[in-house]
Amino acid sequence: MNNIQKLLMLAIIAVISFASCQKDKVEDPNDINEEELITTVSLAFTDSANAANVLNFTFNDPDGEGGNGPTQFDSIKLQANTTYYVAITLLDASGSEVDTISNEVLEEGVDHQFFFGINDVAITIVYEDTDDNGNPIGLQTKWIVGNVGTGTARVTLKHQPDVKAPAPGDETQGETDVEIDFPLVIE
Amino acid sequence: MASLALQAQQYTDSCKLTVAGIVRDAATGEGLPFAEILVVDLGTGTAADGEGHYLLQGLCPGTYHMHFMELGYETLDTTITISASRGFTAALTPSTTQVNTVVVAGERRHHEATTQPVTTIEAQELEETRGLSLGEGLTKVSGVTLISTGPSISKPVIHGLHSNRILILNNGIRQEGQQWGSEHAPEIDAFMAKRLTVVKGASSVRYGSDAIGGVILVEPDPLRRTPGIGGEVNLVGFSNGLRGVISGILEGNFAKAPALSWRLQGTLKRSGNMRTPDYYLANSAYQERNFSGTVGYLKPKFGMEVFFSEFRSTIGILSASHIGNLTDLNIAFESDRPLITSGFDYTIGRPFQFVRHDLFKFKTYINTGTTGKLSLLYGYQYNLRYEYDKDGPLNDSLAALNRPELLYEIRTHTINLDWEHNQIGAFKGMVGVSFINQANLYDGRFFIPNFRNFGGGVYAIERFIKPKFELEAGIRYDYKWQQAFIPTRNGEVLNPTRTFGNASGSLGAIIKPNEIWDLHINVGTAWRPPAINEMYSNGLHHGAAAIEIGDSTLLPEQAYNASATLNVVPKGGKLHIEFGVYYTYFNNYIYARPELPPTLTIRGAFPTFRFTQANADFKGIDLDLEYKVWKGLTLGSKSALLWAYNYTDDDYLILIPSQRFEHSITYTFNDYKHVSNAYVTLTGKNVLQQKRAPANADFAPPPAAYFLLGFNAAITVQVGKQPLEFGLSINNLLNQRYREYLDHFRYFVDAPGTDVSVRVRVPFNFKTKF
Repeated sequence: MNNIQKLLMLAIIAVISFASCQKDKVEDPNDINEEELITTVSLAFTDSANAANVLNFTFNDPDGEGGNGPTQFDSIKLQANTTYYVAITLLDASGSEVDTISNEVLEEGVDHQFFFGINDVAITIVYEDTDDNGNPIGLQTKWIVGNVGTGTARVTLKHQPDVKAPAPGDETQGETDVEIDFPLVIE
Repeated sequence: MASLALQAQQYTDSCKLTVAGIVRDAATGEGLPFAEILVVDLGTGTAADGEGHYLLQGLCPGTYHMHFMELGYETLDTTITISASRGFTAALTPSTTQVNTVVVAGERRHHEATTQPVTTIEAQELEETRGLSLGEGLTKVSGVTLISTGPSISKPVIHGLHSNRILILNNGIRQEGQQWGSEHAPEIDAFMAKRLTVVKGASSVRYGSDAIGGVILVEPDPLRRTPGIGGEVNLVGFSNGLRGVISGILEGNFAKAPALSWRLQGTLKRSGNMRTPDYYLANSAYQERNFSGTVGYLKPKFGMEVFFSEFRSTIGILSASHIGNLTDLNIAFESDRPLITSGFDYTIGRPFQFVRHDLFKFKTYINTGTTGKLSLLYGYQYNLRYEYDKDGPLNDSLAALNRPELLYEIRTHTINLDWEHNQIGAFKGMVGVSFINQANLYDGRFFIPNFRNFGGGVYAIERFIKPKFELEAGIRYDYKWQQAFIPTRNGEVLNPTRTFGNASGSLGAIIKPNEIWDLHINVGTAWRPPAINEMYSNGLHHGAAAIEIGDSTLLPEQAYNASATLNVVPKGGKLHIEFGVYYTYFNNYIYARPELPPTLTIRGAFPTFRFTQANADFKGIDLDLEYKVWKGLTLGSKSALLWAYNYTDDDYLILIPSQRFEHSITYTFNDYKHVSNAYVTLTGKNVLQQKRAPANADFAPPPAAYFLLGFNAAITVQVGKQPLEFGLSINNLLNQRYREYLDHFRYFVDAPGTDVSVRVRVPFNFKTKF
């Protein structure tokens, strides 16, 4: 075998091995590194007069934006003239392991804030937590519920790196990470 | 005396003689495409075809002073005596200094080689675009506009069609990147080109089924053929964004191995944040770094060429354009100024894109003597694209990896084998086959899946050439096999496979009864299979704040195209009129239609677009006028009108360029001592509002009409033996506030304000002994 033949052999082997490793990656898209998603928003309502009375309401869209629609979208049902302590949990359940995104939001509290918009019913919302600068985050809140009625509760999480305004905050700033209009029933 | 005698005889019966022949490279014998031939005594001329063949007709007996010209070659200045129709072969030697040839105003510059409307940008016109992106340079052509994502990302639109419908041939190789996205600019160093050619209209027969809207050819100079080392250095500085570009070419040829030539070329580009009349565009900085190398071994009978290029760019995406949902988008619309502004900075922060494109090309040809020329072209392209969102992951360990939120990696092999046969009687033509093999990988967020495709095409074009007319017919068959690999929630992989096959054809004619006017007519059919994003995209298009959903059952798109271009240069050569009309009817035109209700997501409701098909048509007019008023004073005017309609929905089509007009006044100075090629041009560009836009299909109505003033000047100064070329350009001279309909950033910010640029070009040349 002369040098040219050897070189040709090498080239052919290189091309084949290159082509075959390509093949595996192209045809098996399941080992890709999926981006971080927020797939689940849960609101836990604890009755201020009775800590054993806890209500959970969830929005769950395990494949993120687009694709299939949400698999769970609860209506928030509350007792009239009751005060609740509300804790929000955000999860990324798209991968094999569930990641609690709300812990990251707490950690980066100076860049995040929840905003709440209540329509057609009377609820007063008070922030119960603060970031390192003493501004509200909104993972913990107090909801003072008024009379019977139906309406909506918009829960919005804004990512506001460098633009987070002092209390009470500015909803127009930053990028929206979460925005859900929960149907709201006060019984 | 001779010329007077000639003119007197001009219209007598004896004036029916012709001169025909070829303009070729003196060293290689290769024909020089589109070389210009000027009969100095008559002030008329012609252009050679794509192979260098030319025909001058209607000549009277006599002696003529003639110029044979081609960019990059010494002009052949000669006299030819004609007593009967005769042949003449013009052998040109490559030029050593490569100073630009001055394009003579009023002379016909179109290509005789094609029956379709074709426009070329080179020399002075191309120099004016130095430092701009490829797309921006191409807007000098009537009927070519831009679809852009801010000042740093733009791609060409030909007669209203772009992306999947336009083919770009980069140094002969079809550019294969992620061209389906409107925010994915062509990955090409504009400095590599010494000639940009736009073929308007379907050119599928010659170039393949994607060329349904047109073709853009990006061509470097031929390799240096005289011994020595030469090249050029280009420096360009822009006031807006304090952009700077340095680009150079170094090339050589060996006295001891005259067939061997080489070239190295590279460009560095950097821009800071650009500025509108009122504010800086936050995070609009970008960088680009490109290089290429060529080695050629060229003999008359046989030759080969190896070429490699690498393109890398990092482009900041306007912070204000990256929005979370429709509410954010509405807040952005309602705000007069963008919500995020900044000062001047060269730093590129999130969000940004990083793009790398490598091209390897091998070309070889054999001149098979009387039978013609056989050429083989192989290309390998590697395209890598990273997209970083505005915010990284919240999870610290994920954030530390600093992975792009979206990654595409596409590898493409192409092979073309062409055989051109020499003229047999009145017939001339070519046949060829082409193959393409492609694999795409993604990582991060799903938008389009991994896929693999294979395509093949076979074509034949034949031309019947007579002195007063030419007829051309072409036919092609294309086949495409494509398999996508789509992950599902339960770990399974769906792998839908589609195959497509269809024929396309074209018929054309050139009628050139005399030197005053000619007419090019072309009719053709073209088709293209649905593109990967049109079939399988499914997800959130960030920045667009829209969910796009593909349809895997889409049918191929079928187009019927007709065009006619009339060129008139009345006697005296003072006036030049180029009038083009075109009509394209689409069966199953693929587009994204808004769908109700909006998609409900954890981030709120998103407008949703689903790819669908309709019958639609595009019709338009391109009109170019040039008039030499007096001495060096020239008036120019370009108009591009386009009307498009969707017959299935009985509505307008979205994102169609509006009517536009450009008028210019140029004064060219006489050469004086050490100063040459001096001119000044004032340009006024008027773009009307697009009134023919579908209602309720867009986030905001089309922006208002705008008028921009521009200024250009250039001069060449001879310092000893060294020519130095200087240029000055001012865009948006009046610092006008405006927004362009086809700029995606129009939702968020104004277009850039005044931009003054200064450029210097230094060609150089050394003789060597080796």
